[in-house]
Amino acid sequence: MSINLRDSGATLWANANKWQRYLIAGAVILAVFALPLLEGTFLNTPSTPFEMVLFYPIGVYVLMALGLNVVVGKSGLLDLGYVAFYAVGAYTAGILSMHTKLNTWEILPIGIALAMLSGLVLGAAVLRLRGDYLAIVTLGFGEIIRITALNTSAVGGANGITNIPNPPTTFGLKFDLDHPRSFYWIVLILIILTILVIRGLSVRRPGRAWESIRQDEDVAELMGVNTYKYKLWAFIFGASVGGAAGVLFASKAMFIAPNIFSYNVSILILAFVVFGGMGNIWGVVVGAVLLSYIPEKIRFISDARMLIFGLVLIIMMNLRPDGLLPRKKREKIGVAGEKSK
Amino acid sequence: MSNQPVLELKNLTMQFGGVKALNQVNLQVNRGEICALIGPNGAGKTTVFNVVTGVYVPTQGEILFNGKSLKGKNRHNITKMGIARTFQNVRLFGEMTSLENVLTATDVHSKSGLIGSMFTTPRSRREERAGREKAYEILEFIGIDHRADQLAKNLPYGDQRRLEIARAMGTSPEIILLDEPAAGFNPSEKKALAELIVKIRDRGYTVLLIEHDMSLIMGISDRVAVLDFGEKIADDLPSVVQNNPKVIEAYLGVPADAS
Repeated sequence: MSINLRDSGATLWANANKWQRYLIAGAVILAVFALPLLEGTFLNTPSTPFEMVLFYPIGVYVLMALGLNVVVGKSGLLDLGYVAFYAVGAYTAGILSMHTKLNTWEILPIGIALAMLSGLVLGAAVLRLRGDYLAIVTLGFGEIIRITALNTSAVGGANGITNIPNPPTTFGLKFDLDHPRSFYWIVLILIILTILVIRGLSVRRPGRAWESIRQDEDVAELMGVNTYKYKLWAFIFGASVGGAAGVLFASKAMFIAPNIFSYNVSILILAFVVFGGMGNIWGVVVGAVLLSYIPEKIRFISDARMLIFGLVLIIMMNLRPDGLLPRKKREKIGVAGEKSK
Repeated sequence: MSNQPVLELKNLTMQFGGVKALNQVNLQVNRGEICALIGPNGAGKTTVFNVVTGVYVPTQGEILFNGKSLKGKNRHNITKMGIARTFQNVRLFGEMTSLENVLTATDVHSKSGLIGSMFTTPRSRREERAGREKAYEILEFIGIDHRADQLAKNLPYGDQRRLEIARAMGTSPEIILLDEPAAGFNPSEKKALAELIVKIRDRGYTVLLIEHDMSLIMGISDRVAVLDFGEKIADDLPSVVQNNPKVIEAYLGVPADAS
């Protein structure tokens, strides 16, 4: 029996009216917000409290996977240096908290803006390249950011930055080591916002432009799509999400160092996107959740952990080469005729 | 019919290494006419399309669109100015629906970009709705509106070709370049296509057409230009071109008794 999660989910959604949709969405969001209450159940992770795992790695990685999905999944631009934007966000938080009195919420927009700026700079330089060449250059960019941080004593060099303050208490929510669920809720809000924005863009001009670029860049250009501009936008959008994840991560971890932003992270995030199903938001979310949860769950076997992780990837990619929930447009035959009359 | 030129090629030369794909080609396409571009395989017909739409930069010569030079213009800007094309081999966005294919083209004239779409500004919403209406109208005009929500790759071959024309019309062009739109069609499909092309012209578009099917060309063209080895060897009314010895020679070779 094959379980077709996407189709049954999509059918449920397609058949629902407006109020039912609000109800479903509300129930799902509520359930996801309530996840920290499952602390202590079968979901428990051995070496880290479940509530913490919900924020990092799960929440942060889901957010980053969503951002990278716009670049890789929607626009077809293979970016192997996505960690760079995460690092820019995290280091913005680190440096600003070292030299200023700004709190996390004030730093967040600055971190996002700087990540976008780095996305613009990188994109403007490399987006004339295609395919493998683009991948190699972005890979290099990710490493440049890390190595620059490693060799700059002003940002602590290899020791990184310590004592980054937690966010201040907001709306009665405390943000510190004893209240990990607050962080989870914040990242969850960002994830929901990101999903809403991406869903909106997908059905409008930018979504079509990205999609056409992914499918045939030359024809897209000849049909009037400013491919360079929209590729740049994809990069900048992806960068902004990565930057936001970086700021949040730094404010929770209170400590950042260059080795956290190694090239492995870029590959891991890319693995989430491919594993879940390129271009499909829900596939990417499920992929990122599973692949960041499983390694935490099986942490007790320590060294063999990554081996099993790899095995899961290989088995999965053989069984479902297009990912867990691949992108597949559902055709609505017959609807068109009615609409046009 | 006015004799106002929409598209003018002046001494156009396109050289690839030692090969001159186009050599000093002059061509004028007037507003509201169906101009056919014919010639044996490898004569340089598609190269003309590629140079006009900005895929290649001509080695020499100039292209004027409504009197303005296209020199240094980006491909998407040329499209925006009013030149649209189809492709010899169908090149649709297969993973998108027919409607989305046309919408991608109608987007060329919308003013709202990413920011507008992100915050759903009134303008973005208005343009989105207007685009959809226009795209439906074009699909209806072409006669494939019943395929609007089907993926382009799942369309039957004939409808894919028609969708290519619809997508080109989506950019609201003044001139449409059709590259062998009847390739692979049976006689009745060809007849329907000929009617469609005339209908497109009557709607106010200018058509430049590459085609191999002579009966189709001769039936609907107002003028026929013939290319052979990158040079224009004839440019006249269909009936005149048909009897031009140079054209006959290019297609059939020199008669035995003449050599």
